[in-house]
Amino acid sequence: MNNAEQELVIQLQQGNEAAFRKLVDAYEKMVYNTALGIVQNEDDADDITQEVFIQAYQSLTDFKGASKISTWLYRITLGKALDLEKKKKRKKRFGFVQALFGSSGEETVPAVEFDHPGVQLENKENAASLFKALKQLPDNQRIAFTLHKMEGRSYNEVAEIMDTTVTAVESLMARGRTNLKKILSTYYESKFNN
Amino acid sequence: MQKKDLIQQRVEAALNSMDGMQPATPEPYLLTRIHARMNTREVTVWEKAVWFLSRPVVAIVLCLVIVANMMVVVSNQSRQSNVAATSQGDDFSYTVATIYDSENVQP
Repeated sequence: MNNAEQELVIQLQQGNEAAFRKLVDAYEKMVYNTALGIVQNEDDADDITQEVFIQAYQSLTDFKGASKISTWLYRITLGKALDLEKKKKRKKRFGFVQALFGSSGEETVPAVEFDHPGVQLENKENAASLFKALKQLPDNQRIAFTLHKMEGRSYNEVAEIMDTTVTAVESLMARGRTNLKKILSTYYESKFNN
Repeated sequence: MQKKDLIQQRVEAALNSMDGMQPATPEPYLLTRIHARMNTREVTVWEKAVWFLSRPVVAIVLCLVIVANMMVVVSNQSRQSNVAATSQGDDFSYTVATIYDSENVQP
């Protein structure tokens, strides 16, 4: 953590409102894009972004400054995004059980292909398939892939955020890529056959 | 063969589709929305309970109470087993002086 960050943390811990505004301004894009990469829904990502800054504000006294502010915020964001995913999956399962027993619960909205606003126009269709495939990866592979590919973080930074080694990140990326290839091959094969 | 190549091409294209991707922009006035959320956010009973129980002092006190409780239970059990042994002795008149004892005082 550099001097400017240390100063910002001290100001935040003193309850300085301007420092909090500075924090939000500096990291809102990072938090929002990370959340968007995981949950693949703009409203949910916006919700998570708000929750992340609220939690950061409330737990500032616990922040010891051992890691960079960005690393700390990345960890909160990933935790919240994965929590929301689990909650949604539980809700989906519950909806399925409700449907089995014929009770009239909330209508489940069919999964829509995610259209990331930052993807270049000519890549939109391929990116939608990739986002769909990403959803099927194990959490740690998905996190590594999202941080490296979408957020542009180096393997070192990804390792720091995930609290692991660079070798482990390399392995996660390699396995993630292999899995994505398999998933995408199956997807395109079925598409060609139909 | 041609189909397989085509699939491979599509897979590679999909994997590279994030190249040159621009970061998305969040909705404006985030700070205002955060403040509004902080002010209106209702803390649920469960959140309150978790917050209260997760405080170190409360956790330590709870642990002490549990340990003290266990000690009382264990000591009660051992006392009960002693009482049971004594009452068994009573049943078989090991200790109670009988009428014969008072009559035969002379050796």
